[in-house]
Formats: sequence, structure tokens, C-alpha cells
Amino acid sequence: MRNKFDEQLALLNRELIEMGALCEEVISMAADALLSGDTELAQKVKPLGGVIDQKERTIEAMCLKLLLQQQPVARDLRQISAALKMITDMERIGDQAEDIAEIIGFLNGRTGRDCAPIGEMATATIKMVTESVDAFVQRDMELAKAVVEYDDVVDALFDKVKTSLIGMIAKHPQDGEYALDLLMIAKYFERIGDHATNIAEWVLFSVTGVHNRENIT
Amino acid sequence: MKKHIFRSILIVAVSVLVLCSAVMMSIMYRSLVEEQREQLKNKLAIVANGVEEGGIDWLENLTVKGYRMTLVSSEGVVLFDSEADSATMENHLERKEIADALQSGSGESERISSTMIEKTFYQAKRLENGNILRISFTRNSILSVLLRMLTPVLVILVAAIMLSAFLANRIAKRTITSLNTLDLEHPLNNNTYDELSPLLLRIAHQQRQIESQRSELNKKRDEFSLITQSMNEGLVLLNDKGVIVSINPAARHVFRTDASSIGKDFFVVERSSEIRGVMKTAADSGHGQVKLRRAGRRYEINASRIDFNNEAVGTAILVFDVTEKALLEQQRREFTANVSHELKTPLQSIMGRAELIENGLAKPGDISHFVNCIRTEAARLLVLIEDIIHLSQLDEGGELPWENVDLYQVAKETLDVLQDAATDKKVRLLLTGTPVSLNGVRGLLGEIIYNLCDNAIKYNNEGGLVEVSVSGDENKAIIRVKDTGIGIPTEHQKRVFERFYRVDKSHSKETGGTGLGLSIVKHATLLHNGKIEMNSKVGQGTVITVTLPK
Repeated sequence: MRNKFDEQLALLNRELIEMGALCEEVISMAADALLSGDTELAQKVKPLGGVIDQKERTIEAMCLKLLLQQQPVARDLRQISAALKMITDMERIGDQAEDIAEIIGFLNGRTGRDCAPIGEMATATIKMVTESVDAFVQRDMELAKAVVEYDDVVDALFDKVKTSLIGMIAKHPQDGEYALDLLMIAKYFERIGDHATNIAEWVLFSVTGVHNRENIT
Repeated sequence: MKKHIFRSILIVAVSVLVLCSAVMMSIMYRSLVEEQREQLKNKLAIVANGVEEGGIDWLENLTVKGYRMTLVSSEGVVLFDSEADSATMENHLERKEIADALQSGSGESERISSTMIEKTFYQAKRLENGNILRISFTRNSILSVLLRMLTPVLVILVAAIMLSAFLANRIAKRTITSLNTLDLEHPLNNNTYDELSPLLLRIAHQQRQIESQRSELNKKRDEFSLITQSMNEGLVLLNDKGVIVSINPAARHVFRTDASSIGKDFFVVERSSEIRGVMKTAADSGHGQVKLRRAGRRYEINASRIDFNNEAVGTAILVFDVTEKALLEQQRREFTANVSHELKTPLQSIMGRAELIENGLAKPGDISHFVNCIRTEAARLLVLIEDIIHLSQLDEGGELPWENVDLYQVAKETLDVLQDAATDKKVRLLLTGTPVSLNGVRGLLGEIIYNLCDNAIKYNNEGGLVEVSVSGDENKAIIRVKDTGIGIPTEHQKRVFERFYRVDKSHSKETGGTGLGLSIVKHATLLHNGKIEMNSKVGQGTVITVTLPK
């Protein structure tokens, strides 16, 4: 009985790793498309987002089945409930990457390079997503805490992007629409950072059983 | 086991007890009865005598304890009874002993009382007057004896049960102890019951078998790990759940993990889309291949599903480092592109001028100039093709004539050939050194010196100097070519040995080089297992030192 359960938990873990890896890919792809202005690459983001949605459904079904059939307690219960919460955040990351890719289509061939901090922000966000998935995969508490703290860096970068865009609008009023699009993209990056933080917090919860509720946004 | 022994002992004890007492009782009872009957007969005879002589009065006065005397008339009427009132007694003619006595003179019978506890023996005898004297004796029946024996038997039974339990316990304990203290590591060294010897022999045999199988397995495992440890290719073995069963050092290096990853899901170690994709392909179609870039190197990953009895039992992942191969491939592609370009340029210029002449567009006075140009370009083409042939010969590395060569002599001959070119450029050639002989390919050594000197002349300033020195000791020969030319900028120094690489990107025809000279030097030196050292400063000149082992 327990053996079967362990097997199913291992399978769940594997699916989560896959979903995390997909999130890393989708965000990297969106960021690459933004910085290179490659709209063809941007169009590949949407199907990948679909794969992530599919994965969410699969994992959700697995979790519910495990909860119903095995009625897990303690650590197992934490692992499964954390998985249920994590996939929501991962799915949102996928959605927001799709949104970014959609905006890239409206930039009329311009890239994000005109606003330097947004490139930094993309790199920082990718780092957060990668490290939150790493923290989950390795069950690395230190890394998870580092991700939670790193969110401040992304938030600060968002302010920097905002300031830079305000300056851009002031200098070139005709770039207003472009600047607003970039602001939206920056906001999406900032949100992705928040989701990565959530994932890291659920990793902490699944191991320690403690979840800092005040940090939930 | 204890129960079993206990039951056996108890059954033996109880059955012995029951059988013994039954046999003894039946024998003793029978002999007792026989004896009493005899006694009864004797008493009857005595009493009969008495009655014959003394009549009924004698009988009335006689008191014999335990015996009952009855006198019955020949009609069956009881005349006297020693224990009951004769008047109330019924006619005794029906009684078996009386009837027998009446008929044959004597009779006997025995009757069990209604309570089954008492048994009465009768003896009767016909007197001379026709009366019948009967004497009887009552004793306890066998049943009452048994009933009386019940208590002691029960006591014995309880004692037997207790003794059996005690013995069973002791025997079981002793047997178990001797079994438990058996030294199973050395089954033949035990000093115990003989009955256990076959078991111990069997254990010893099995142990030998297990030991040999285990050492065989260990040997195989060691062989396997030794092979995988020293493999350059990475090898990862996964079970059917995707958990790492074995990962060799090369693979650990590629996937940046350590031995602790054994037992973990492979996706924990590596979750890139390439790996996930190839694993899926391998699971679906049995085999998958993918290229992976990792830390500046390129790897080719082969994943194969391992099937056993038509069931997937795992996956084998082989990782090849194809960085060098990919680099070579790229160089080859670049070389082909370069060759085509280099060959096309002079041909186009030849074609153009030839067309002008053909169409009569060239003025008659210019024709000789055009033809001259065509000849120069064709010569350049020839040099280029010769160089390429040289290089490809070096690449093929085919059979080359190795012989004892005097390097100084070769340098001297080469400089003689180049003397005209040097004079044209107003460059002075100088050869120093001593004869040094080594085993090598004369043509290639000449190529090395020729190309180095050719470059030194071409890229020299007017009035410059090219100094060639040949030296050597027991182990090596050294050729040093020093010029006072334009020098090579630092950023180009590493690349000038590449084919068609030129510091001057315009591929200028002024100097007439092909861009293959130093590449030929490099290959020829490598073929002789030598080394090239370059020391150059822009505007001051270049020193190239070629060291060849003897």
C-alpha cells in the first residue's frame, strides 16, 4: 500500500519538476523574444503556455486522486497540498509569459533594449523562477529563502524601469504607447517574480510545515 | 514443538498406565475369583458334612461371617437362610445353581446386584436327603474396584501430565538451544547431535555455493564499475521509474552532480527540455538522440530504452563530448568556403580579361598587359592549388619518406631559392648555425623553412634583415627565423596559423600570399611532433622558433 503511495508521490514530484522546467523555458523564451524583437519566437510562447495549462490539469487530477484514495497525513499531506498551490503559481507564470509575448507583437519590431533596466529585470525574474524550481527539486531551504528575499531586487528594478520610462515619455512624447507597453511587460515580470516567491514559500511549507501567511499576495 | 513433544510423552504415559492397570486387574481379579470359588466349594463340602450329620440344627448354630448359607428343600422351599427369614423367601427352584444341583448334585452361578457394585457367587450341593445346601459369598464387582481406583489413577494422571510438560519443556529447550548455538558461519565445526549433521552438511554446501556466486557477482560489478569509471563518455542508467541506478564520473561532470544523485529521480539532476524530450522519445520509440550545450561544450546525448521480456525496465543514457568534432566540422566548412572564395577570385579576373580580349574590346596595345595579368593570376592560382594539395597531403598524413636530414643543408638550399625574392624586396638573408641532423621528411622540413622565410621576406621593410639560425642538441633541433618586419598584432597571433587567416583582411594581392603558409608550417611541425613559438611586436619584427624532437 505504502509502496504504491510512494510511487505515486515520486510520479507527482516528477511531473512538478517537468512543469517547473516548462515555466523556466517559457519565461526565458518570452524574455529572449522581447530583447531580440523576434516575433516568431514570441509566437512559440503561446503553445508552450498551453502545454503548461495541460500539465496543471494533469497534476491537479493526480493530487486530488491521491488525497481521496490515500488520505495522506502530515508530511505527505503537506507535500500534496503544496503541490496543488504551486501549480497555480506555475500556471500563472505561464499565462503571464504568454501575455508578454502578446505585447511583443504590438511593439512594431522594436525591442526592449531601449529601456535598459527591463533587460535586467528579465534576467532577475528568470533567475528567480529557475532558483525557485531548483529549491523545489533539491528541497533546498536556503535557496528557497534566498528566492523570497530576491523578490525585493525585482521590485526595485520595477521602480527603476518606471523611472526610466517616465524619462523616455518626457523626452520623446511620440514613444508614449511603446513606453506603456514596456511598463505592462515590466509589471508582468514583477508579477512572475511574486509567483516565484510563492513557489519558494510553498517549498518551505512542504518541508517545514510553516507558511508565512502575511507574505501571501 | 514443545506441544508436540508434550503430547507424545503424555500419550505414552497414559496408554502405558491404562494398559498396565487393565492387564493387571483382569489377571488378578480372575485368579482371585478362582481362588474364592475353590474356597467356597471347600466350605460347602465342610458345611454339607456338618448338615448331613447334625441336621438343620447344626446349621442354625453355625455362624460363618461373610458367607450366607441357605437350605432349600427339593421342592424349592427355603428351609433355612442364615441372613433372611426363610418363611418370607420365595421358591428357589428357578435359581440356576439350585436347579443344577437338583439335577447333577452340584451347581454354581454368579449374579451381579442391581447396583452393579456387588457380585454374588453361589455354590449349591444336593444333600443325601435330597435337600440342597447353598452357600454364597458376596464381594465387590470389578466396577467398584475401578471406582475405588479412580482417585489414585487421577492423581497419577495429573502427575504424568506435569512430568510430561516438564520433560517436554526440557527436551524442547535443550534441542532449541543446541540449534540456536550452532555456528552457521562454520557449520562443520559444530559439536552437536549427530542427527543434525545432514542439515549442517547441507548448510555448508549452500554456503559455499552462495559464496562463489557472490564473489562472481562482485567481480562482475567491479568490472562494470571499473569500465564505466574510466570511460570518457558519460553513462547514466535509470530504472523504469526514471530513478538513477548508476552514473559514472564523466556523466556526473556533465550534469554537475555527484554520487549522492544515485537513487534520485534523473529529473532532479537534469530537467532541461532537451533531456526531457530525448527521454520521452526513448520511452516512445526506443531510442532518442539530442545535442546539448553545456558550459561552452557540446554534447551528444543518446537515450535508449532497455527492454526485458517486452517490458521497459529502464533507460540507458550515453553522453558524448562532441565539442572537438563540432569545432573541426566548423573549420572544415569554413575551409571549404575559403577555398572556393580564394580560387574564384583569380579565376574571375582571368575570365574578365580573357573575355575583353575575345570580344576585341581590348586595345591592341593593352593585350600584352592583359595577358601578363592573366599569367600572374594563373600563377597565383597554381601556387594556391599547390598549397592546398600540400595541406591535404599533410591532413591525410599518408606515407611520407622519413630519412636522416641535415637541417642546416636544407635551410641553405631554401635560402638559395628565396635569394631572388629577397633581392627584389631589398632584404638581406643571413644563415647561422651548425649542421644538425634529424630524422624527418626532407620536403616538409624545407616547407617549414621556406614558408617562414617567405613570410619574413614578404612582410619585411625595405632594407630589412631575415636571420635564420639552425641549432640543436642530442634531443632536439631548433630553427629560428627572425625578421625586422612589420610584426603581427597580439590579437592576431593566435589565429595566423589557421587556414586562409590573414592579418590584412583585404586579402591583398600585393604581397601575393595565400594565407596557407603558416598553416602548412603548423601541420608539418605537428607531423614531426614539434612545437612552434611566436614572439612578435608590431613595427619591430617577428621571431618564430620551431623546436623539433630528434
